[in-house]
Amino acid sequence: MRRRDTQPDVADGTVLSHPFSAAADRKDGSHSIFRRCGFVSALVTALSLLGGASLAPAQWNGRAVLGGQERRSVESVPYASPLEVLPSLDGSLLYVLCQGSEEIRVLDAASYAVIGKIPVGRVPRGFSLSPDGSRLFVANTWDDTLSVIDTKALAVVATWKVGAEPSSVVEDREGKRLFVANRISSDVAVLDAATGAEEKRLLAGRGASYLTMSPDGAKIYATHVYPNLSPHRTAPESEITVIDARRAVVTERIPLHGIAGVFHTAFSADGRLGAVAQYHPKNLVPLAHLEHGGAFEDTLTVFGADVGKTVEVPIDELERYASQPFGVAIAPDKSRIYVTSGGSELVTVIDVPRLLAYLRAHPASFVQDLSASAHYVAARIAVGMNPRGLALTRDGRRLFVANRLDDTLSVIDTRTNRVTVTIKLDGPTKVSAIRHGEQYFYSARQSFQGQIGCASCHIDSTFDGLTWDLEPDGFGRDIVDNKMLEGVKDTEPYKWNGGNPNLPTECGPRTEKYFWRSEQWDNLTLTDLTIYVRDMPTRLNRWKLPGYELTPAQERGKAIFERAVDKFGKPIPESNRCSYCHSGPKGTNQKLFDVGTKKATDNGALLKSPPLTEIAQTAPYLHDGSARTLEEIWTVFNPEDKHGRTNDLTKDELNDLIEYLRTR
Amino acid sequence: MRLPLRLAAAAAGIVLLVPVCGFGPDAAANKDAAEGARAADILVTAAPVYAPLAALQGGERFPKGAQLLLIHAGKAEPLVAGFWAAADANVSFDGERVLFAGKQAAGDPWQIWEMTLKDRAVRKIVAGEGDAIRPLYLPAGRLLYARRTAHGFQLQTAGKDAAYAMAPIDAEAGATVLPLSYLPGSAIPADVLLDGRILFESGFPLGTGSTPELYLVYSDGSGVESYRCDHGRARWGGKQLASGDVVFTHGGALARFTSPLAHEAAIAAPHAEYAGSIAETAEGDWLVSTRPAPGAHYALRDWKPGAAAMQTVLAVSGEDLVEPVVAAPRPRPKRHPSALHPWSYANLLALDARLSREGDLKAVPAAVRLETMDAEGRAVVTGASPVEADGSFFVQVPGDKPIRFALLDEKGKVVRAEQGWFWIRAGEQRYCVGCHTGPERSSENHVPAVLLRTTTPVDLTGAAKTGGESSAAGGK
Repeated sequence: MRRRDTQPDVADGTVLSHPFSAAADRKDGSHSIFRRCGFVSALVTALSLLGGASLAPAQWNGRAVLGGQERRSVESVPYASPLEVLPSLDGSLLYVLCQGSEEIRVLDAASYAVIGKIPVGRVPRGFSLSPDGSRLFVANTWDDTLSVIDTKALAVVATWKVGAEPSSVVEDREGKRLFVANRISSDVAVLDAATGAEEKRLLAGRGASYLTMSPDGAKIYATHVYPNLSPHRTAPESEITVIDARRAVVTERIPLHGIAGVFHTAFSADGRLGAVAQYHPKNLVPLAHLEHGGAFEDTLTVFGADVGKTVEVPIDELERYASQPFGVAIAPDKSRIYVTSGGSELVTVIDVPRLLAYLRAHPASFVQDLSASAHYVAARIAVGMNPRGLALTRDGRRLFVANRLDDTLSVIDTRTNRVTVTIKLDGPTKVSAIRHGEQYFYSARQSFQGQIGCASCHIDSTFDGLTWDLEPDGFGRDIVDNKMLEGVKDTEPYKWNGGNPNLPTECGPRTEKYFWRSEQWDNLTLTDLTIYVRDMPTRLNRWKLPGYELTPAQERGKAIFERAVDKFGKPIPESNRCSYCHSGPKGTNQKLFDVGTKKATDNGALLKSPPLTEIAQTAPYLHDGSARTLEEIWTVFNPEDKHGRTNDLTKDELNDLIEYLRTR
Repeated sequence: MRLPLRLAAAAAGIVLLVPVCGFGPDAAANKDAAEGARAADILVTAAPVYAPLAALQGGERFPKGAQLLLIHAGKAEPLVAGFWAAADANVSFDGERVLFAGKQAAGDPWQIWEMTLKDRAVRKIVAGEGDAIRPLYLPAGRLLYARRTAHGFQLQTAGKDAAYAMAPIDAEAGATVLPLSYLPGSAIPADVLLDGRILFESGFPLGTGSTPELYLVYSDGSGVESYRCDHGRARWGGKQLASGDVVFTHGGALARFTSPLAHEAAIAAPHAEYAGSIAETAEGDWLVSTRPAPGAHYALRDWKPGAAAMQTVLAVSGEDLVEPVVAAPRPRPKRHPSALHPWSYANLLALDARLSREGDLKAVPAAVRLETMDAEGRAVVTGASPVEADGSFFVQVPGDKPIRFALLDEKGKVVRAEQGWFWIRAGEQRYCVGCHTGPERSSENHVPAVLLRTTTPVDLTGAAKTGGESSAAGGK
């Protein structure tokens, strides 16, 4: 399944214009038409969403079917969706990783003219240059490959199969090894740089995704987007995994207490200062309001010889937030740290000398002080939608920012902290409904003071590995595990208690009242957002064999999943079989059951049977996240066999069951 | 002063347009340039006497009446006719209508009126026996004002749209009227911030003090708190700029609150006496009401932030020109989606009662005591709750009543107590990071010990019978 968004984006094939672009209005005059056509199509789609699937598009590969009539897309060009940007070693070129169009675009770094477009694998996420600049390595997340690009020929010269959801790649200084962060297997693969052959895997944090080489080439720093598993209702724990590049071994795990969601790391040229962008959630405190960092703080952890220890540095203000920090760059002269905030659509500029002075003057933690940033933030620079990767020129004069959701690059003059050029990348001239929905999914503008967006808790449209204490159920009551969004279509009702009958309800009034705590989208945008969420494709299941045949262990597990008689020959009531509640293509019969997992803090025992989509990745488990592993569901939280008959199973049999569940 | 005389006096003053000295040598010469830069009309209140803080003490701000003036192309004219007093102009988000407080006769109470600028049609929006002043438009077809009660002025909101085709809203009994504040002192609206919160003036400490201070509350009355906690100097006349900063005055100077800072920032504006709220023009200039010294009258000036001098826009002999507003469309603040529960009480969770801007307590208090106020204005203890080892407590409190907390040691001695009062709306659930930690302090991410022990709040509503958790807390 391709993750491209090239299709007619509402049910009747209407392609919508960019909602924020006045320029788009002026150019083609389509905006008012867009609102009218969009309203009609949104209405149709809203009815479809509320009433069932009969009016929903039947397919998304460039065409859609509505009421039996096929309607073709006005445009079938994918959005570029620039995610990362990188200058060539000599500074003459810009490489732009375009996740949506699945290519590397090569721009002249002076004129910004496009020199080349190099198709790569599916949904690329990370790239880096070899130390000599001759090769560009691209990690392709959806086909588990690495594209090797010859930077003279500007062509892919090799495609190597690598681990599960490779997200970042770096080569060592000697050009002998490649290190690849695999998000799904939470490790760093060590490859032969000449052949791509895998030498070994190094365990990293959960959802390993971003690698950074230290300036001296001695170490590689790996970060991860999902928190490591920690005891129930305790603060999330993350790490920076430090790898000795020469020996290819993990030498240190720098703890990041309270952090869930760690992204890019950057170093000063002298290697004495490191900074990593991260989320600091407040999932253990009742989500009663957003003011005063009530849901998230946005922070950096700085470390290295200049700091002497790891220090968490808040980058928010009292009434404005730098939501979803992602990319980090440090000026060559170490005067500034630049951080992108995907949700707030800005770049934060930190004055390093002032920061270091503040750190010296405040040896105790100040992460809870929202006024601290006033002492070291020098500027906030508005950029495009969902800014992600950023890179400085070698002289530090220009900063390039990849704005993923409006297909632009912002070029910032670092002397004035102003955007001097906005480079528009080729792509659709209009914004589709699904694209419009995606823009709002990642934006924080609708929440109170711009603190959070959907993507704050659904990292890269997935989940966050956290349990939350939502306010309406009572403080400390009905603790809920956050769930994966992929494959959410046709799994209603939503919420663990089944309280929301459809996505417009789930994403609409409830979200406005209890999450954003502020006026949210108009109905058209809500409809587009719902389309985006509903039709989010499910990624490849790595536990399935090619051809979808099952391994022997998976076969045994499937038999357990479907069995009607226990090991002692006693019939298992239909309602107590795994395959009953977890039936259907998504692994849910969409009904509520009491499976004996009610806690003293729960208001009710009836819970919706959750889909099994990507179940292997989405720990913790159960409605409140109390089971850290699948095995714990049955060995700890199923003493009376109310959650399926499992107490007759051996450890090996439970393992078989898990092997099967991983294929769902 | 009777209406005809006042209008005549105002007209005479308008003709003179006398710049008041002390605001730069070229003020008059630059007047035309300043006016040329302003495209939008300006509304201002003209009054022989203006006491900007009188309402906070329950008094009259315009004891000799007031008139609304419209300044168009540099010339002023009365905006409304038939009123002994009209003041407090607030322009609708589309720039087409104006809310104001007015009284048709000197003996009338102030009521809320609305004018359509296009045809100058005036209709009464809010009626009632007591004064209603300082109206402000809210999103979603509601309006905000202060209503005089037995306990001073209190904040109220009402559904404006419903009034169009019907009689004015009865502010005492109207079904759409929602009281927001529950204080033993006055609360006066100042502005509606772009994030949807209401900025209001009241005394510090809240409900008891006489030092004017700025506070915030959501449009359903929940979440009341100080804007900042660097209390001490009198602050009033708060208005939000397009940048999000809130500008206010100390009387002798302007200052501002900014998003990055936990304390006010000084504004290097020309030395003068400032009456109160400013207005920001589309060009970024500020319209301010100033006078050179006490005893003189306030004139309307234009100040470009950073400039050394101000330019006189309008000066009227014998009149104070105050409360300027720009008659133009403006961004609509966000609507606050109320999440109040249908309860008569409220729940409050303190994450760590030890934490305070005044210095963290070294020892964990043994208990927390709640007081409310009875009908005679006397403080009444409603109960006490134990404080957990991590400083947390979880209590149920009476909704829509003045309340205050005191922390007690094991012997029942008060170790720290709130100086003022605040309220929690019925149906509200909120948590506090500490006791007066300030808005700059965010929460630590951990489950408070009290919620690990119980999710049932200790009943401090005063309705509980003797015994149970309240009495077990001791410290009464």
